[in-house]
Amino acid sequence: MRISNILFSRIGKWSKQYANLPDRYIKRSMEQVYWRNPKGINYRANAVIQRKKFYFSVHRPWTAEFRNDNAPGVYRPKVFVEPVKEWNFFCGDRVEVLVGKDKGKQGIVKHIFEERNWVIVDGLNCKLKQMGADKKREFEGIWMQEEQPLLITNEVALVDPSDLAPTTVEWRLTEAGERVRVSIRTGRIIPMPATASQTIDYKSKSTYKEQPKDTEGSVVTEVTFKPKLCTFEMDLMDKMGIKEDRIPPKSYWY
Amino acid sequence: MGPLSKLVNLYRLLSNVNNQTKHLPFTTIARNVSTTKPNYDLMEFFDDPKNWGSNEVKSGRSWQKDEMRLKSNEDLHKLWYILLKERNMLLTMEEEAKNETMLFPSPERLDKVEESMENLEAVVRERNKAYYELETGETGERPGRVETGPFGLKFYYKMREYKVPKHMNKKWQETHQFYKHDKDVEAFLLKYGEKKFLSKRRQYKRDFNHVIGLLKRFPNMDMEALKQQYPDVDIEKAKNNHKCRGHFVPK
Repeated sequence: MRISNILFSRIGKWSKQYANLPDRYIKRSMEQVYWRNPKGINYRANAVIQRKKFYFSVHRPWTAEFRNDNAPGVYRPKVFVEPVKEWNFFCGDRVEVLVGKDKGKQGIVKHIFEERNWVIVDGLNCKLKQMGADKKREFEGIWMQEEQPLLITNEVALVDPSDLAPTTVEWRLTEAGERVRVSIRTGRIIPMPATASQTIDYKSKSTYKEQPKDTEGSVVTEVTFKPKLCTFEMDLMDKMGIKEDRIPPKSYWY
Repeated sequence: MGPLSKLVNLYRLLSNVNNQTKHLPFTTIARNVSTTKPNYDLMEFFDDPKNWGSNEVKSGRSWQKDEMRLKSNEDLHKLWYILLKERNMLLTMEEEAKNETMLFPSPERLDKVEESMENLEAVVRERNKAYYELETGETGERPGRVETGPFGLKFYYKMREYKVPKHMNKKWQETHQFYKHDKDVEAFLLKYGEKKFLSKRRQYKRDFNHVIGLLKRFPNMDMEALKQQYPDVDIEKAKNNHKCRGHFVPK
């Protein structure tokens, strides 16, 4: 496995789903290449020297804030992230906060950060943040409430819809073969919130607004392929009326 | 064709641009897939003026292989040129934005187009391969073989078509060097192997130490998840390490 692929695998599946960006763009925008071997006779062809250690926080890897966090030469202390077998928290889920000043309160998940096992709960676990302070003019700035991330492993728990109490969950299969989250305590299914599949571009697939350069769905699904015993080139030449009956001279492959 | 006749042809081509546009074959098809109006002038290399200086230009996703498999060869051919034009346009806009020190909005569009082009090529290859395998029993792809380079390392050599056989092609012989037995190369390979082995061992050690760090910080961690993430690490061995213990007196 290449280094870039290892780095890329750290970005969570649901973070990528929310971004609605192609994988290669995410890879391209976050990599910091210091050296690439030129083409030609090299003992290591395609060798690349690039940054391997990245610091992940609430800034998404394709943003300028992330690039600022991980500016060339800037390294932060290593963060230990507890391995989690399966991700259970999605945008729109009702969760209970288990720690801090909002302990026992329930809220809705606003953002998920799989790289750090974090969720941000709407309006809970806030910190006051001073902004725009100016000592010269004796202006103390304005104070803003900012939600702080919570660890999914021990700081929040999903809420069972039947008794509105926190519970641990498990993924099981229904009779229809669908994977669902089931509360271990009561055995009730915790339904997937509608906002789980939202992306930065649209809330749900049905509400997607078509852009001028998009191809219509009906045009995409239309079947125009007819099996024929010929290659792509032969078919096109046939359609365009190009005739080729010259015999190519003898050539050698090596 | 002499140079004069070439020039005359070029002149005819340039003077007839406006007349020719009426007979271009892909006017109708272009509208089938993309709704942009063809202009047939240099401004086609630039984006819609509405998008100039904007922060974001929204776009859909790229074409998937499964969707392309439904399309006829003719449609794919047209789609290729639509994508190519779009890519040219985006690359021009990127360069222009760089020159003007402005923001190139939504650079992921380039990746979407390039991904679609890769998928399209893969589908065309698939079709051609099926034909050649049925008719000739070969894939019809560009042949190649695993070769050993001058440094004794293996690489995939893609063959090429030449007019003259190998023994007559002096230039090829000069530019294509393969491995011949050499004492120095043997010595290099030994050291290179050692380097690779050491880096692999260091990686294992790094993973092992990381697992120790994880076990120390999260004693109630899901062991299956740990095993899944670090399949090579001996977790039982890591657990017995003295560094694993937390800062408390064991009961």
